[in-house]
Amino acid sequence: MAPLRVWIAVAVGGCALIALAYLPPRGAAPRGPRFATYSPEPTAARRRAQAVAKEWRETDASLRLLEDRQHVKWDSSRVGPAIIFRGPTLPPTAVRTVEAVADSMWRALGLGETKVRAALVIALERAPGSAPGPIPDQNGVAFLTPDSTDRTTCMAFLPANHFWTAVLLGHPPRHFEPDWLARWFQSGLGPCAYYAAYGTPSRSVRSWLAARNWDVALYLGTHGIAGERFLSVNLLGDPRYSWYWDGIYSLSPSTVACLAGRLDGCRSAVLYGADDDARIAVPEIVRLEQGWWRKQHLLPGERFLGDVARDVGRDRFQSFWTSSLPVDTALAAALRQPVGEWTKQWERRFIQPIRLGAAAPLGATLLALLLAAVAVSAVALAASRRQVR
Amino acid sequence: MLITIGLPAAGSAQNRWARQVHDELQRALNVVHAHGGDRPLLDKEGTLNQEESASFTITLREGVSYSIFGVCDEDCSRLRLVLATLANSELALDRTSEGFPVLQFTPRVTAEYRIRVAMEECRLNPCWYAAGVIPSSGAKP
Repeated sequence: MAPLRVWIAVAVGGCALIALAYLPPRGAAPRGPRFATYSPEPTAARRRAQAVAKEWRETDASLRLLEDRQHVKWDSSRVGPAIIFRGPTLPPTAVRTVEAVADSMWRALGLGETKVRAALVIALERAPGSAPGPIPDQNGVAFLTPDSTDRTTCMAFLPANHFWTAVLLGHPPRHFEPDWLARWFQSGLGPCAYYAAYGTPSRSVRSWLAARNWDVALYLGTHGIAGERFLSVNLLGDPRYSWYWDGIYSLSPSTVACLAGRLDGCRSAVLYGADDDARIAVPEIVRLEQGWWRKQHLLPGERFLGDVARDVGRDRFQSFWTSSLPVDTALAAALRQPVGEWTKQWERRFIQPIRLGAAAPLGATLLALLLAAVAVSAVALAASRRQVR
Repeated sequence: MLITIGLPAAGSAQNRWARQVHDELQRALNVVHAHGGDRPLLDKEGTLNQEESASFTITLREGVSYSIFGVCDEDCSRLRLVLATLANSELALDRTSEGFPVLQFTPRVTAEYRIRVAMEECRLNPCWYAAGVIPSSGAKP
């Protein structure tokens, strides 16, 4: 009977190995999307034209921001960011209302007169053909951070879509709530809010943030980026649906590991880019494309440093922000605990740890067990018949 | 009573840090002037982040004693002032004063010299600084 037991053990072990190797990870869709739309593959010429158009729009947007920086008019009677409008002319009363909202938002962030001043460039929606030449970029949010040619000005470019253009022109929809505009301004400030609050970061911190496109310092406020509890992590949707898991597995491994509550993953997700001595371009233009949250290295990264600042207090955060030490050392010193540990606890405030690893559907499991039993029985039967008595 | 010399008045468009360094440099120059010094040869104001530096060139005359001042804003705790030749040979530097370095220098030859201001410690970047050069008392014509 001993050889039979060995055969059974080998067969069961083999099944387990095959299951581990081939079963899809938890939540992964077994098939392609049912309602996928297929657009024809663009030709090489079209791809080239699109790439050139994208490059033109980015260069044009950068030049406009640089020009705007040279012509910002600072109003000493106001504390908030300077506001520059592009597009249709706003009536003076609307301008005053917008400035008053921006000033209130600035004070709510705890800011007053700051060393680095912020300017919000708001591009109102233009009708196609309303201006000569190609249509400039009206989608991407962008920031021009201070540099050696102007150490005290941070520019934020905030395109206003149809909704916000109507609001700014004084035609808000009926359900519009008064604090929405302030929240929009607050989220539009992005890294400029950090520059205003804590000044220019040290070279090591700046290099780290540049390497990851500032994804952990996009929002300084106390609430979510677009409302009281709205975070980029909410955009993943519901774990019961396969698109949630598609979203999860499109993130980097360390980001997923951190969502699963793994210390090493959280540490790697936070310190992504900290080891590189990233070249900081001059001028440094930080662009947020549509769907920027899908490229975050930490979820909800946009508020990570804002939460660090609130947790550790202004002095400790300021020491980290201007520290010339490596980022992991400086951040751990500010947090007074290992980066991974703090981040793991922080992550729990927004999302329950996801479960990773192979997850077999019930039907497939039963079928596999049945097949395994049949195989084992067949092997056992064959082995018993071949025994020489 | 001190008189105001040299520097243009701080404009209302300046922020409080710029006004602070402007006023401090003005006070320092006034003190030297009150003790028989001449009008300032150079005054520079600007901003620097920590570990950044700025340089200016100036012609100093043989046998004339010069006072070279640097001041920085409240967030700056160490400003370094260095006087060097154009070939970057250091002639004088202030090692003692943290936020208010002062150099006294009497050149042996009339030549162009380089003054370097280095922001060594700034708690909240950028820090405003100002530097001034004024012939001290007892200056020979």
